[in-house]
Amino acid sequence: MRVTRVAERLSAPALAVATLALLALMFFYPVGIVLVEAVRVDGVYTLATVVEVLRDPFFFGVFAQALDDPSVIVDSFPDYRLGLFGFTAYQALLSTIAAILLGLPGAYVLARFEFPGRKTIRSLTALPFVMPTILVAIGFVATFGESGVLVRALRSVGLPASSFTGTLGIIVLAHAFYDAPLIARITAASWEGVDAEMTETARSLGASPLRAFRDVVIPQLLPAILTGALLTFIFSFMSFAIVLALGGLSLATVEVWVYHRISQLDYGTASTLATMEMLFSLALTYAYLRYEARQRATSAARPPDRVDLLGPATKRRLFAWGYAVVAVVVFVVPIVSLLLSSVTGPEGFTLRNYRFLVERQASAYAFQIKPLTAVTNSLIFGAGTLLIAVPMGVFLAVVSTRQFRGRKLIDTLSMAPFAVSGVVVGLGLLRGFVFGTEAFGYRFTVTGAVAIVAAHAVGAYPFVTRNVAPALSGIDGSIVESARSLGASRARVMLDIELPLVVPAVLAGTAFAFAISIGEFDSTVILATGGSSYTMPVAIERFIGRRLGPATAMGVVLLVVTSVSFVIIDRLGEGSGFGG
Amino acid sequence: MADLELSGVRKAFADTVALDGVTFDIEEGEFFTLVGPSGCGKTTTLRTIAGLESPTEGTVRFGGEDVAGVPTEDRDVGIVFQNYALFPHMSVRENVAYGLNFAEPPDGQSVDERVTELLELVDLSGMGEREPDQLSGGQQQRVALARALAPAPDVLLLDEPMSALDARLRETLRRQVKRIQQDLAVTTVYVTHDQEEALAISDRLAVMHDGGVEQVGTPREVYEEPATEFVASFVGENNLFDAEVVGRDGGATAVAVDGTEFRIDDGLGDRSGGAGDRLTFCVRPEDLTVGADTNRFEVAVDTAEFLGETTRYYAEWGDRTVVFRTPDAHGGDGLTLGFDPADARVL
Repeated sequence: MRVTRVAERLSAPALAVATLALLALMFFYPVGIVLVEAVRVDGVYTLATVVEVLRDPFFFGVFAQALDDPSVIVDSFPDYRLGLFGFTAYQALLSTIAAILLGLPGAYVLARFEFPGRKTIRSLTALPFVMPTILVAIGFVATFGESGVLVRALRSVGLPASSFTGTLGIIVLAHAFYDAPLIARITAASWEGVDAEMTETARSLGASPLRAFRDVVIPQLLPAILTGALLTFIFSFMSFAIVLALGGLSLATVEVWVYHRISQLDYGTASTLATMEMLFSLALTYAYLRYEARQRATSAARPPDRVDLLGPATKRRLFAWGYAVVAVVVFVVPIVSLLLSSVTGPEGFTLRNYRFLVERQASAYAFQIKPLTAVTNSLIFGAGTLLIAVPMGVFLAVVSTRQFRGRKLIDTLSMAPFAVSGVVVGLGLLRGFVFGTEAFGYRFTVTGAVAIVAAHAVGAYPFVTRNVAPALSGIDGSIVESARSLGASRARVMLDIELPLVVPAVLAGTAFAFAISIGEFDSTVILATGGSSYTMPVAIERFIGRRLGPATAMGVVLLVVTSVSFVIIDRLGEGSGFGG
Repeated sequence: MADLELSGVRKAFADTVALDGVTFDIEEGEFFTLVGPSGCGKTTTLRTIAGLESPTEGTVRFGGEDVAGVPTEDRDVGIVFQNYALFPHMSVRENVAYGLNFAEPPDGQSVDERVTELLELVDLSGMGEREPDQLSGGQQQRVALARALAPAPDVLLLDEPMSALDARLRETLRRQVKRIQQDLAVTTVYVTHDQEEALAISDRLAVMHDGGVEQVGTPREVYEEPATEFVASFVGENNLFDAEVVGRDGGATAVAVDGTEFRIDDGLGDRSGGAGDRLTFCVRPEDLTVGADTNRFEVAVDTAEFLGETTRYYAEWGDRTVVFRTPDAHGGDGLTLGFDPADARVL
């Protein structure tokens, strides 16, 4: 009895130490390396690189120019040079506006109309959380690219059309595809929380329907819209795979340029840029979390009645039908194009592309990507990620529901990976472990595969935590107290009562972690360079320009795996933790 | 020696003082109730006994031993919460057996025997394989009771266990709980906001108000001899009168309420003080009788509530409202009420 008690007492601190050590090794140390490299040249600490970047119009556009010659602000008005950072922010802003324009009508339709499949569509709006960005890219290439479905369709009716890819517009549209559902989801949830009686009171006091909407509904929706907008801006600012695949270097954002510098072995500039971007995204994420924490989910005493979507044409219905057409074009067509492209060739219907995935295995040269290897790598890394991310995520969820000093700090540290891009983590792991690190007189090196699993685990465990923590804190406190009063120790209550009750949430978190790992592109592409540890997303990116057919076939494989994960999350989970 | 003692217990949270100077003793095998309005500190007191809250000051003793720092799982208590808190992923039988993981069943019984015995005790024989969500509220409450009793705790703690049930079921269960408590002779602390329930079920009760204990006594003592104005008006209905002492008349005291003179005699002699002092006394609604021959005053009936075996009347007396109860029908102005001097109680 005594011994087990002591073991129980020690188990939590021991787990805490192990978790923090893993976090330090897989996340804080690599990110630290990037920070240090940003301010160290040839072993000497200096801000020279930072200053150089800040003064370079290529990076900071008109701000850098103004440091030398302030008059440029007047002279070049309004045609400012944006620079890399300016362009990144500019495209993120455009993407945010586009996502709002596309998402708000969706929120309206979801919140105020009734139609068959509404609930399914509503849960599908959470899909972007698990949808790999590279899948969006390949879907858009399959629709809007040179041999994309839309371009071919336009040509077949005699319109002159060429590729839409490689334009800012297509990047913005892809970001909107990705983020508009989030805005629709968060806003619809808030909309459904607006009590019908509030609007009715405003109407009874003499306000017209439109006036009541403006005075009563919109102010209550604004926080949700802002939350979604901030999230979209952060995602778009840090966007990598979509910009790389759809824009290339001519439309490079900071992330893409960092990747470009890494592939040119210019690690100094890469680290400096990555650090600057990281500081910016950390600040934005902090602002987002602060703002989100202030929101309080309300549920209406009586939600407004829904309008049946099917029925005689009214102004409202016409609007909703119009939006449905737009939504089908933007959201459904890329997915359908992906499926279509994967089973068509010059000769019509074919399974050639899928056969290629298997046959290429035997015929590929050593330096070429073998599709089947990519699939098995993805699955192996996914399994490895689960082994680390699930225990870690569950443990941190337990920690976050306990009251003790220093909890806030652990909470914040453990959620930090949300705000740091995969490119930064990948760069740090590459420099720190794959190239080797010296400690205790030995040189430690880690293979790309292990580093990839570490990077995936870092990206995945916060989702486990965000699924399990609400489930744990949702358990009635008196259930725990009953168990304790019956003689169970704290650790025993956790094992007997709490963990069994959150099994669905743990499974959802597991599916989430797997989906994140399978779809991870940013750090994988850096860590897999030159090696044989490439995954499906990396293979898709390699194939995208050259072999659209196989790329779409692999995209379909990825889509299927992601969809299965999504169904599990949707059935069992508490959601991503991002509103809705 | 008392089985359970609280002395000078104070509990301060970040911004409020929940308990201050809570002191009482509970005898072994006693059914002891904490009653008071919501926010009075009764649940905090129960949680302090359970070890779910630790007192800021003061001591809690089990069988004479200070239990400060002893965690809940090491105190021999069984708790039943208002929402039953059954483990939803375990069957009824597993729920009841859970505490036997940590304590031997009493009298050399096996776990199975013990669980079967307890399910019988709460009239749930044959329900062992059910899941909690297949049971009615009353059945769930009995499972929670069986679970709390299974390890044969020294103290049974019941936190408003009936308040989620409808009135009729509550009365049935009240009798059942009382019967089981008497059979097992387990020291029991019962928390309720319902003073009627407290009077009906308790051996003794503590009336709590604003984090303190107002009065401890048997139901009859508390009802008939309330110690404070709060107890007088919280337990049962009451008419409270502010009065000035006019003089003494043998054992009785002559007092004036807004110029009307009354004789009161609660058998406590000089507690009423000397002439010119102010005091408050109370008279129960059932002790105000129509057409009485002492302490008469004239009222006008304002509202009548027919309750079945009796009718409750609210009547105007000057600018006061008095409440009285009688089986007879009355109405209108000019009704004469009165009361026996011995039925008045000085607070």
